[in-house]
Amino acid sequence: MTQFHLSRRAFLGSVKNAARGSTILLTMPMILAACNRAEQARLSGEEFQTLSEEEANEFDAIAARIIPTDDTPGAAEAGVIYFMDNVLGDNREEELFLLRSGLRELQTAVALEFGGAYFHQLDASQQDQLLTQIENSTFFSTLRFLTLAGMFSLPEHGGNRDNIGYELIGYASQGAWTAPYGFYDADYAEKGE
Amino acid sequence: MAQAPFPTRDEVDFVIVGSGAAGGIMARELSEAGHSVVVLEQGPHLQAQDFKHDEWSLDHNGELMWGARDGHPQTFRKSENEIAEERESVCRYAHNVGGSSIHFSGNFWRLRPIDFMEASVRGTVPGTNFVDWPISYEDLEPYYTKVDWEIGVSGLQGPWDPPRSREYPCPPMPIKGSDVLLERAARQLGLNPYPAPVAILSQPHNGRPGCIHCGFCNGFGCEANAKSSTMVAMIPLALATGNCELRTGCTVSRVNTNEQGRASEVIYWEQDGTEQAQRARAVVICANGAETPRLLLLSESSQFPDGLANSSGVVGRNLMFNGYTTVAGIFEQPVNAWKSVPATRVIHDFYELDPSLGFYGGGGIDGRHPSRGAPLEFAQISGSVVPGPRWGSEFKRNLAHDFSHVAAFDGHTTSLPQSSNNVTLDPDVQDKWGRPAIRCTYMDHPDDLATMRWFLDKTTELMEAAGANRIEGSYPETGQEGNVHLLGTCRMGDDPATSVIDRNNRSHDVPNLFMCDGSTLVTSGRGQPTMTIMALAFRAADMINQAAERGEI
Repeated sequence: MTQFHLSRRAFLGSVKNAARGSTILLTMPMILAACNRAEQARLSGEEFQTLSEEEANEFDAIAARIIPTDDTPGAAEAGVIYFMDNVLGDNREEELFLLRSGLRELQTAVALEFGGAYFHQLDASQQDQLLTQIENSTFFSTLRFLTLAGMFSLPEHGGNRDNIGYELIGYASQGAWTAPYGFYDADYAEKGE
Repeated sequence: MAQAPFPTRDEVDFVIVGSGAAGGIMARELSEAGHSVVVLEQGPHLQAQDFKHDEWSLDHNGELMWGARDGHPQTFRKSENEIAEERESVCRYAHNVGGSSIHFSGNFWRLRPIDFMEASVRGTVPGTNFVDWPISYEDLEPYYTKVDWEIGVSGLQGPWDPPRSREYPCPPMPIKGSDVLLERAARQLGLNPYPAPVAILSQPHNGRPGCIHCGFCNGFGCEANAKSSTMVAMIPLALATGNCELRTGCTVSRVNTNEQGRASEVIYWEQDGTEQAQRARAVVICANGAETPRLLLLSESSQFPDGLANSSGVVGRNLMFNGYTTVAGIFEQPVNAWKSVPATRVIHDFYELDPSLGFYGGGGIDGRHPSRGAPLEFAQISGSVVPGPRWGSEFKRNLAHDFSHVAAFDGHTTSLPQSSNNVTLDPDVQDKWGRPAIRCTYMDHPDDLATMRWFLDKTTELMEAAGANRIEGSYPETGQEGNVHLLGTCRMGDDPATSVIDRNNRSHDVPNLFMCDGSTLVTSGRGQPTMTIMALAFRAADMINQAAERGEI
């Protein structure tokens, strides 16, 4: 499988940025938020089994840009990262290797473009800027897939907490339905064709 | 009643390899006729309580389909000049009692009279093995009706349907919003939509309950026993005869022959790797269009150097997938196509495309949810098959809106039989038992691609007429790289030089060996092959029973 590589132009661009002396964009609230999340996981007895805390923070942040939190909960609230931690530990060494090396490259880009060390410490627009550069990479598509899987698989696999994913799309995992099922078949019985 | 336990050293009348759409029927028909039968099934005997709406386990953890992670790699290449590469999802089928009749979508279109004689009526296509069947629709009709009533099919005879000797046992499914949209659009275009026949019970039948419309058919096992798999419709009847033993977790490695060139025993591994040999008077292979040819090729010997039953060299060749196209449209109001069965209306006005188009082809159109109603798959295809961005805020907004507001109009089309499309033994890659992996070589014929293109355009026209706001269509324009329809690899025919089995499913080369599954189809039909696989199984079993009565097995 191919790893993602920054394009030469993106790489040169980022060197230029670094040369201009972009400041480190760490802010206290961000650090606190990251620490809080890890702390919460520890408090609730949910230590990561497969991912390191750093990896979890980074992948969690990427997932949160794929399905952001806005007026409704997103990947972060759905606990997508716990799904990832769970399934990546289940005979998926190849994906894990790919994600780890992809993350190292992403962090290199973080340093070059913004002078920081961690993706999760960038602000949302900086994060989106980097993700847009790599959105056709295997690294990104693997994380996109795992984010969606963590959002929309049964909660027993570790994500989709409180059915957040299902509620988002208006899907109810109930056992049975009766017709009419939607708007367009509602008047079919009387109007027919 | 307890299953009949047969010692492996004693000769039973029949060993059946595989318990799927064909094997399950074969088991019931042969055991009910009083023959002793051993069924060897590599997968487990899952039942209603085992079937969950668990998309992750089924689609991504190989729970039914197995894959390289489970020790069952397959390889794929587009042409015989290439080296095949290991690939997931090539020849896909469910590994369990009932086979793929457990997870199929249950669309049960009969073939039509034209399917059996299309090459002579329409003319053959140069460079292909497009020929007539040795049997006709009339030969198969009684067995289609047997499938309707004994397996359980819901439907209503349509304006284009072939003649039938008996009505459907169950009325059609209630129409879905996606199919109201399809039907109204079709009327605008002057077409004739009508209720889709499905192997899902709309009301109780044969002691089984009607459908609860949960929406998890295609790719899932039915937790209500309303879907008409052979696991629920046939296997219990087979076991109740007291003449049938079902051995699960048993992977067949080869069929051995005796000095007379007759099949004599079937070698298999039990789950723990213990090798066993079951002696039999006759063997029926119902392992599907990929595994049946693999088993025959693996059973080569000095007597049969090119593989068992392969003097023609045709075993594994003429693989046909059926083509498909899909157009997704986003509508103003909730469609909720994710509820209930996959399809409730079908359009068969284009069963045969006009020859003046310059290519051969035909197909059917039905209404669906673009991801089978499955939430994760929907999110995956959102931004490609379904229009829009692939991540971020707008992606999320689209997901939230579109899952319930989407309808898909799908085309299901013909595939021409070609020697160069086939299943062979991979020279390099092996499965966990050390057997050569299934190597699939496949490239859709230019006429197959042209047919898909035509259906894509027609369904797009329908989607526009239906009033969708956003529309996105696709078909595998660079050629398919896998499918669940595995057809044609041990084709039926009168000429031993160009076919593997005769018109009664008996091997031309080995008189007590029968093949019965998707591999025996001569042409592809227009998709939805399981109805025909099952009808052929009832017919083959009838012929085998008659031959046995005459002492001709």
